[in-house]
Amino acid sequence: MSLPLHERATDGNSFDLVRMSLLESGAPARIVHALIPERGLEAGEQYRFHFDMTKCIGCRSCEVACNEQNGNPADINWRRVGELEGGIYPDTIRHYLSMGCNHCLDADCVKGCPVEAYTKDPVTGIVLHSVDACIGCQYCVWNCPYSVPQFNAERGVVGKCDMCQGRLASGLEPACVNACPEHAIEIEIVNKSEWQGDFTRAESPGMPAARHTVSTTRITLPADVAAGALERVDGGQIRPEHPHWSLVFMTTMVQAVVGALGVMLLTHATDTVSLTLLATLTAIALNISIFHLGRPAYAWRALKMWRRSWLSREVLLFGLFFLSIAACTIAAWGQALGSFHLAFAVPMLGWIAAAFGLSGTIASAYIYLVPARPSWNMSHTPLDFLLSAALIGTLLASSLGGAATLLAQLLPHYFTHTAAHYAAWPTVALAILWIANQLIRLIRLHASSHFEGRASFALLSSARMRPGVILSVGLAMAAAVFAITEVWSLGLIAALGAVLTARYLFFVSVVPLSMGLTFLRERHA
Amino acid sequence: MTLLARMTTLLTRAKRVLGIDIAREKYAYAEDPRFGHISESRVADSWVKTTCGYCSVGCGMLIGVKDGKAVAARGNPEHPVNRGKLCPKGLSEHHILAAPGRATTPLLRKDGVLTPVSWDEALTTMVTRICDIQARHGRGALGVVGTGQLLTEETYTLGKLVQLGFGTSNNDGNTTLCMASAVSGYKLSFGSDGPPGSYEDLETADVIFLIGANIADNHPILCERLQRNQHRTLIVADPRVTKTAMMADIHLPLKPRSDIALLNGIAHILIRDRLVNHDYIAAHTEGFTGFAEFVAAFTPEHVSHITGLTVDKIERVAQLYGAAKAGFIGWTMGVNHSTQGAVTVAAINNLALITGNIGRTGAAPFSITGQCNAMGTRETGFTSSLPGYRKFDVAEDRQALADIWQINAGRIPTARGKAYPDIIEGAVTGSIKALWFVATNPAVSFPNYDLLQFAFDKIEFLVVQDGFHPTPTTALADLVLPAAIWGEKEGTYTNSERRISKVNKVVSPPGEARADFDIFLDIAERLGLREDLYPGWTTTHDAYREWQRVSAGRACDYSAISWEHIEREGGVQWGGERLYTDGHFAFDGGRARLHNVPCEPFLEQPDEEYNFILNTGRTVEHWHTRTKTGVVAMLNGMVPNAWLEMNPVDAEKLQLRSHDHVTVVSRRNRVPRVELRITGIVAPGQVFMPFHFPEANSNLVTLGAFDPISREPNFKQCAVRVERSSPL
Repeated sequence: MSLPLHERATDGNSFDLVRMSLLESGAPARIVHALIPERGLEAGEQYRFHFDMTKCIGCRSCEVACNEQNGNPADINWRRVGELEGGIYPDTIRHYLSMGCNHCLDADCVKGCPVEAYTKDPVTGIVLHSVDACIGCQYCVWNCPYSVPQFNAERGVVGKCDMCQGRLASGLEPACVNACPEHAIEIEIVNKSEWQGDFTRAESPGMPAARHTVSTTRITLPADVAAGALERVDGGQIRPEHPHWSLVFMTTMVQAVVGALGVMLLTHATDTVSLTLLATLTAIALNISIFHLGRPAYAWRALKMWRRSWLSREVLLFGLFFLSIAACTIAAWGQALGSFHLAFAVPMLGWIAAAFGLSGTIASAYIYLVPARPSWNMSHTPLDFLLSAALIGTLLASSLGGAATLLAQLLPHYFTHTAAHYAAWPTVALAILWIANQLIRLIRLHASSHFEGRASFALLSSARMRPGVILSVGLAMAAAVFAITEVWSLGLIAALGAVLTARYLFFVSVVPLSMGLTFLRERHA
Repeated sequence: MTLLARMTTLLTRAKRVLGIDIAREKYAYAEDPRFGHISESRVADSWVKTTCGYCSVGCGMLIGVKDGKAVAARGNPEHPVNRGKLCPKGLSEHHILAAPGRATTPLLRKDGVLTPVSWDEALTTMVTRICDIQARHGRGALGVVGTGQLLTEETYTLGKLVQLGFGTSNNDGNTTLCMASAVSGYKLSFGSDGPPGSYEDLETADVIFLIGANIADNHPILCERLQRNQHRTLIVADPRVTKTAMMADIHLPLKPRSDIALLNGIAHILIRDRLVNHDYIAAHTEGFTGFAEFVAAFTPEHVSHITGLTVDKIERVAQLYGAAKAGFIGWTMGVNHSTQGAVTVAAINNLALITGNIGRTGAAPFSITGQCNAMGTRETGFTSSLPGYRKFDVAEDRQALADIWQINAGRIPTARGKAYPDIIEGAVTGSIKALWFVATNPAVSFPNYDLLQFAFDKIEFLVVQDGFHPTPTTALADLVLPAAIWGEKEGTYTNSERRISKVNKVVSPPGEARADFDIFLDIAERLGLREDLYPGWTTTHDAYREWQRVSAGRACDYSAISWEHIEREGGVQWGGERLYTDGHFAFDGGRARLHNVPCEPFLEQPDEEYNFILNTGRTVEHWHTRTKTGVVAMLNGMVPNAWLEMNPVDAEKLQLRSHDHVTVVSRRNRVPRVELRITGIVAPGQVFMPFHFPEANSNLVTLGAFDPISREPNFKQCAVRVERSSPL
């Protein structure tokens, strides 16, 4: 990047005029005030946005200019304008927020990305995103407390504001800065360590707390507005998030397999057919999860950042889980067909698989423990994943046990199976714990101190989702009843139904941290 | 499709699904030689200099063209109005040139169905039907409603066609829904139309008083001009806490339609405290003694009672304006959209006159117009006056025009015909039998839709000439004439500060759509009057050159302002930077008139049954009836539907919550399913909704009451009640 960015235009008598980006000599000489830094960066510094709320009139030119600059479709807005309101008529106050990316010092998008698509530019501090590296997993969308990265379905990748670095490099203001008729947006230089020490000027009504990621955007607030006087206007209409069906099925199925394998190992009932089924289910689940990606062809890249990203770790551990359960199954077949006789191989591989499965499930839960999604970022999430694994696991193992016994009776030459006896009480206990976890989570969301948690509760208790909540709890109860009556297969169906429903609700009812937006906007599916 | 092609398609789709293809080309960046790094899709081969076709601010812009398509819009940094800045509508204006929903072929209703026909059949039918109707019911049976969206050249051409060709004076424009009150008010006070100031006054005035003007939503680029002024005190009078009110140093949240009392009250204080300019009053005005007596009754206490403002605030505003070195008063629709609009403008002018705040840098009573070429229609229009601000009832004016046109002065009407609302009323009562609308959408924009519907049902022939189809109005037409829109034709617009700017052709109109100018000439041809009305004309430039001769020596003198001159200067103001610098006004004797303006309550007061006052207005993302901005995905996505603002106090009483759907009911009709916004922006007892949305058309409920002088509708106040909508 060639720096410094800007050469001062001619005279200096009108201080507040933006320098226009007309490269030809036509620009009037009076245009002078620089909205981008006039010197280069020194060590320990980076660029950042400054947004002056006292100047913004909410005209939204910045949003349009951003979309035009980046050729984005109408439903993707790398810069967004929000409205804040407070006071009582006629002393009503209204202000506006305009925000692109905050190019945070401690950016969660960078840390979470499994493929290192994000980098924080060592010179400018701009948080850059590479569409070539991106696999469209959208974990950054979940991680960013400002909902800055947005998934472009047409491309299968995420995109975000890069401070128009291509323009900055040739001494031109970013498109939003250039377009703002009120000069409310500018680029300035910040000393990173000083800012890390005190970033109170990043805080604003309608913006999530800057501490999560240390936003670098400086916001000038109106002096006469009392703290708490301004509120976001978009709170009345919380929209459900994307259900991520592939993840609903993948997490549920893998947890079921891990749970069942654990139960079978504990009860020494690892028969060949059941193992084959579990390995097959794992393969299906992992393949389904690949289609959650915008770019399934590059799924393998997700392993790259296992040292840093929980998503990479999940992929790695579930990958190893599949390999070991597959190996275990092959060993079992070997034994069944009499090819080799290593009595310890099946249980040993089984236990290795279970260990990978358990740690994979925990890694999987950690993916959701992100501050930007408060209703996920609770101990109930890993608890739910483990309890779901155990609940479905017991019922799946019992059902498979029954099936294996039947098979052994039909084909005694090939299959021997000593049916383990499964007691009902663990299932009943797990169902109670599972329900308790769900209900306590609901109560805690209801009583949450932050808006997003309460909003999640509001969604879950809405007419649209309430039946789902009741259904999932009811199905979990039914699973317990079926277990008591030892109708394992129906119990399994009920438990699967309960977990799938709860998981669906988990995804759609999350209310991400974001900036306050406008009262009206297009409803996207 | 061949097997190979099918395979290729499949392969492409597979590549997309697998993520091997991420549409790199579509989202590539490139270097624009003029504007630097940008999406490659916005890199232009050439740039066409033009003027924005939305509002009356008149921003200069550059439209980028690549492969014959408009790909980018930029503010023109050299243009004196906006110096490179644009609002979101302007920044996305190139999209309307490739937008869906354009009218592309003439459509004639046959057996109840709009059927594509040739231009020849369309225009032959139009001329035959209209001439037949006129033969049966008289010339005046044709009513024509034009628009502030046309080029000045086209408005001038249309005026001649209607008045001299079809021989009916029932010719008006949608500008009567917009700024007719400003025209009438200027005429009442100064003897002539013409906003006396310039935008530059916003930068130099020390006191800026905006009345009923939400420029932050409606003229955002004027906010930029205003914000350059670091030494101003901004006062905003508006019953609603608009975005503009939030910019103000002093917001006057006055009761609806109490503005006249406020203005008279300020005059009272100015006179009481000797803050008036007696020298100016003595030299340049008449009627001061009577005026001073009249406003004596408007004591601060009385005004406080009417307006709901505190005495302190009224005193403070009066003192500020009285002490201003240069006081600027700007207004828009809050003043104009009133049954007392014209006289309210006169009341504003009174303040400027008694303080001498006119004809000086920074000092002006300034009407901020609505449409891009409302001013052009005011000057050239053959509607409320004769072209060049000439008067119908002055024989010399008619003779002067007849001489230029080389026609018998007897062909020029001696009085104005019906104004827009009177044309509609004429249709209802049966005197108007044929209507021709040009580039306007009355089914959304005209008050009290039911009456309009009734008028349409009663007439024999409805012609709608528009760039878009279907619109709520074209859908009702007997004949739809597809027209070119902004960006598809060449001519001029004149903005609020009398600046004539050049509008240029970027692309050709789609399908068979034709420039309005060409349609008018073709109709004249079919009437056998083309050479009579338009001798030797082929382009709008010919119309402009004739208009230059017509306006020569008039207040709006274009004679020295050639197209080349305009292109070179980036817009030229007729009359210079400001009018009346010598204090000489257009009345005989040169004195301006002070008017005693009584403050009447607005017509339809709320009562028990209809307990809210409905105010209507606009939002920055949309333009008028959204035929254009509704098809720009970005703008429509920002504000996709109408809303109703209601104060929390009222919402609590009605047990309503934000985002509930409500029905707005007036004595006339109801607007169902409007999304409710509970907000302190509006006062208790008042509700507000935008008028942009045909799907939730505020003009179903608005009042068909009109200013007796300007004929402008009272869009801003009517009585409604609000009910929870029944679920779908």
